[in-house]
Amino acid sequence: MARIGVFVCQCGNNIASTVDTQKVAEEMKKIPGVVYTQDYKFMCSAVGQELLKKVVKEHRLDGIVVAACSPHMHEKTFRKACEAAGLNPYRCEIANIREQCSWVHHDKTKKTGTLKSTDLTRMTIERLKKNKPLKTINIPLKKKALVIGGGIAGIQAALDIAESGYEVILVEKEPSIGGHMAQLSETFPTMDCSQCILTPKMVELSMHEKVRLLTYSEVEKVEGYIGNFRVQIRKKAKSVIEDLCTGCGECIEKCPFKADSEFEVMKGHKRKVIYVPFPQAVPNIPVIDREHCPKFLKDKCGICAKVCGPKAIDYSQQDEIITEEVGAIVVATGYDLMPVESFGEYGYGRIKDVVSGLYFERLASASGPTGGEIRRPSDGKVPETVVFIQCVGSRDPKRGVPYCSKICCMYSAKHTMLYKHKVHHGQAYVFYMDIRSGGKRYDEFVRRAIEEEGAVYLRGRVSSVYERDGKVIVEGADTLSGTQVEIEADMVVLATAIVPRKGAKELAQRLGISYDTYGFYNESHPKLRPVETNTAGIFLAGTCQGPMDIPDSVAQGSAAASKVISLFSREDLVREPILAEVDERVCNACWDCYYACPYSAIEQHPLKGRDGSIVRWVARVNEGACQGCGVCVAACRSKAIDLKGYTDEQVYAAINALV
Amino acid sequence: MEEKGWEPRIVAFVCNWCTYAGADLAGTSRLEYRPEVRIIKLPCTGRIDPLFIIKAFEKGADGVLVSGCHPGDCHYTSGNYHARRRWIVFRELLKFAGIDLRRVHFSWVSASEALKWRDLINEVIETVRSAGPFEAYRRLNP
Amino acid sequence: MEIPYYPGCTLNTVARDFDLSTRRSLKRLGIELKELSQWNCCGAVFPLTPDNVMGLSAPARVLNRAEKEGDKVTTLCSFCYNVLKRTDYRLKRDREGLEIINDFNEGDYRGKVRVLHILEVLKELVGFKEVKEKVSRPLKGVKVAPYYGCMLLRPAEEVGIDDHESPTIFEDFLASLGCDVVTYPKRIDCCGAHMAMGREDMVSEMSGRILLSAHEGGAEMVVTSCPLCLYNLERSEAPLMKREPGFKAMPVLYFSQLLGLALGEDGDGLFSGKNLYDPRPLLRDKGLL
Repeated sequence: MARIGVFVCQCGNNIASTVDTQKVAEEMKKIPGVVYTQDYKFMCSAVGQELLKKVVKEHRLDGIVVAACSPHMHEKTFRKACEAAGLNPYRCEIANIREQCSWVHHDKTKKTGTLKSTDLTRMTIERLKKNKPLKTINIPLKKKALVIGGGIAGIQAALDIAESGYEVILVEKEPSIGGHMAQLSETFPTMDCSQCILTPKMVELSMHEKVRLLTYSEVEKVEGYIGNFRVQIRKKAKSVIEDLCTGCGECIEKCPFKADSEFEVMKGHKRKVIYVPFPQAVPNIPVIDREHCPKFLKDKCGICAKVCGPKAIDYSQQDEIITEEVGAIVVATGYDLMPVESFGEYGYGRIKDVVSGLYFERLASASGPTGGEIRRPSDGKVPETVVFIQCVGSRDPKRGVPYCSKICCMYSAKHTMLYKHKVHHGQAYVFYMDIRSGGKRYDEFVRRAIEEEGAVYLRGRVSSVYERDGKVIVEGADTLSGTQVEIEADMVVLATAIVPRKGAKELAQRLGISYDTYGFYNESHPKLRPVETNTAGIFLAGTCQGPMDIPDSVAQGSAAASKVISLFSREDLVREPILAEVDERVCNACWDCYYACPYSAIEQHPLKGRDGSIVRWVARVNEGACQGCGVCVAACRSKAIDLKGYTDEQVYAAINALV
Repeated sequence: MEEKGWEPRIVAFVCNWCTYAGADLAGTSRLEYRPEVRIIKLPCTGRIDPLFIIKAFEKGADGVLVSGCHPGDCHYTSGNYHARRRWIVFRELLKFAGIDLRRVHFSWVSASEALKWRDLINEVIETVRSAGPFEAYRRLNP
Repeated sequence: MEIPYYPGCTLNTVARDFDLSTRRSLKRLGIELKELSQWNCCGAVFPLTPDNVMGLSAPARVLNRAEKEGDKVTTLCSFCYNVLKRTDYRLKRDREGLEIINDFNEGDYRGKVRVLHILEVLKELVGFKEVKEKVSRPLKGVKVAPYYGCMLLRPAEEVGIDDHESPTIFEDFLASLGCDVVTYPKRIDCCGAHMAMGREDMVSEMSGRILLSAHEGGAEMVVTSCPLCLYNLERSEAPLMKREPGFKAMPVLYFSQLLGLALGEDGDGLFSGKNLYDPRPLLRDKGLL
């Protein structure tokens, strides 16, 4: 027979004013297995806890029910006190007679409150009788992190983790790290040059002894769980032996073939077939673009191998699969720009002088195709009138995306300034819907563009863009003056919407993290857990989560890193033991649990006979991945799975005690 | 309660993260609602086995309420969707078995919806009251 | 191949040229336009009150009839096309509305009809390549500006026979006839439509802009598929000539008239002389008549 003690808390008058706590305590004494009951003024006080400990020892209790406030308030307090008294903490349960009884039933005769408290406490006692002692679980932890994506968010995260002494692997799809930030000219609101602040970080990262940089590589497969991920990375063949290459650039110079440059955004800008994406690339090791290289297409040329001094060119190089074990993953895969050819009214793709914002960045960049001079693509003339159109695809639920891309207001203002600084007599127009410039020194920046740099802001949408006599005509509405306007421009710049990276959903499926309808990765809680995913051990940084600017991305990179660091600062992982458990004798391997589990925590496990052959399969719970939701339990037809701490037995005991 | 005549008995199966916290908030806000409800806390509505509901009826409940996080807000990503799917089928089954659907209720109450919780409980109790005591079911299981 | 055909009121009166030239042309392409055995006015304007389905009873009646005579129905007039297509779109998605309408019409429409504009028939059922092969009199050297108007393209998700911001179907069609197609920016702007009833000044300005844009693109004639557009454009030419001395009047005609000509139909039979600016002298100059 159980030896249960029941404490009914008065909570000063909070409970006692509508519940006769003494009567509740007396009623509980009648229940078989209850050997001690008492009501007390403040159970959570130090004195109350001491009383609890003393009673546990004196009466050799094997279970405690505290009828008091919500378990969300003091369950931990009382379980700790029990533990201190030598009782398993999971043999302590709380009956919520304050938030869910005394505070919501204001009957001053105490009749209602007393009756309900008696019921609630009785249900809890019966439940407690079925509670098994549980032990927290310790899981070993691999203190090495993987960062996916080498843009500014990934770089920041990797650097922070490495700085605190843990090893980091950074995987980048492109031949160089740097991401979109490397393409930008100057950054708002300080107008410092993007590459000047980025490249030192890129170099620092590549030189860091704790960092292993895998460029031109992609994550192929992720298995395991927090603390113990197994990751397969495909290192694509660069056709250049990294250890031998000195980065002299001779091969690039001598290569006679060209292909479109991804880095320079617009078609027509070429790079060599053996290339680094941009001059400051890290690592400064070229790769051969096999899709365009005649050596691979028809076994001709081979000049790069001939001119390479250290003999680093290797045409026979194969993709390499690397397997790594890591304890935590930071996802920082960044964004793409929405293709805007489908917005026919803006003429992108049809009219040469209609360009994207990112292309304008390259035009304005000192290292860009024009050396920083603003020249329009069609004929190389300096444009004297430029129209910037904001919200191209953003905030357009019908044809684009309903969300705000967040950075366009700021960078369009920046573009007007960059333009004005380079073309003094030029005139910039901006069509906008609203100006969203929330952020430190952001609104001042936009005001400066308008008031000091003379950009004309027109609140309204553009209805059509077409060519006439070498000009680009922009027709639109100015809703503030209520008129239609027609602007004869030389160039039009579209602030296109930010969308998730191509392949974002596939990567999310590989990682087992969730994403929204667009493909942006979901944070665990939009306010309180902004860089965690619902999969323990996987964190987010930067625009893979949603549109954000450079300061936000960097802050997120650091935040994700700090989560990884705090995870690694422990000896091993300690987990609450509220976990699913399979009774292998009953499991018939229907796999309903396997498909129901949101965390992929159910594993298919073979049971082997003496001769080593597989006798049958059973489900097994991965304790590292299980979060204790219990979906599998309700899904199991054969009742082979149960959830520790919320077993069927416990729930039925509570239901049985209803009357 | 006996003096005042019959009052219905409701069992509410709620998830730990949203509805339980919402019910706590109703308390913290000192809202008042009918006392005939008994809450059973589970980690997630996805944990709720339909047999819990059958058992509750058998043990004297006149009505049952299941409530969890709003769609998309589940602490465990998708547990409430499992609950919803299961519920739709189970409800049809109850209907087929001839059980008065005024006795079974499903809702989403978030951790901030104390007012919704109060109104929901009062409403559920009223609806169940209109259905009367569930003697018919209990007689099946003497 | 036979296709159920809904002419609509205008095609029986002022737009006879449109009707005749299309029937004859399509016959040459192996398609018989089979006029619905009974039909009524389409309603002319799609009713925009979402809660009032009664406005749909006239077009629903047409669709009901069409359903009994085939699985698709084609029409020429842009307005008729727009109204029929949108009615069908709505009724296919609004069961309750469909029931009310059927009750009222004493009909049994089930939403099994596909509404096609004749340009779609030419593109999808015949194929522009096929059209090109059947052309016996290529319209070389005729600079034609296609004018879409609104009704063939908007609302995009309900009617749109092509991308509503940068359509090409009209251009592709004219190119198959051998014309020099003029692409000009205002080809999808509104002509002013029924504002012609009370605000001629407004229509004159709006249609004037379209004509001017076509003229600047080098067009010698404008073709359309909408009797109302044609009416507005033609009647805006005189005031435009006053405003813009550089502008010369040009013929506005139905695209099917050029189709007939290219396929070898007797030229004079295609033009009844109803055009305000007769295209025949121009075509004669080009040696096509």
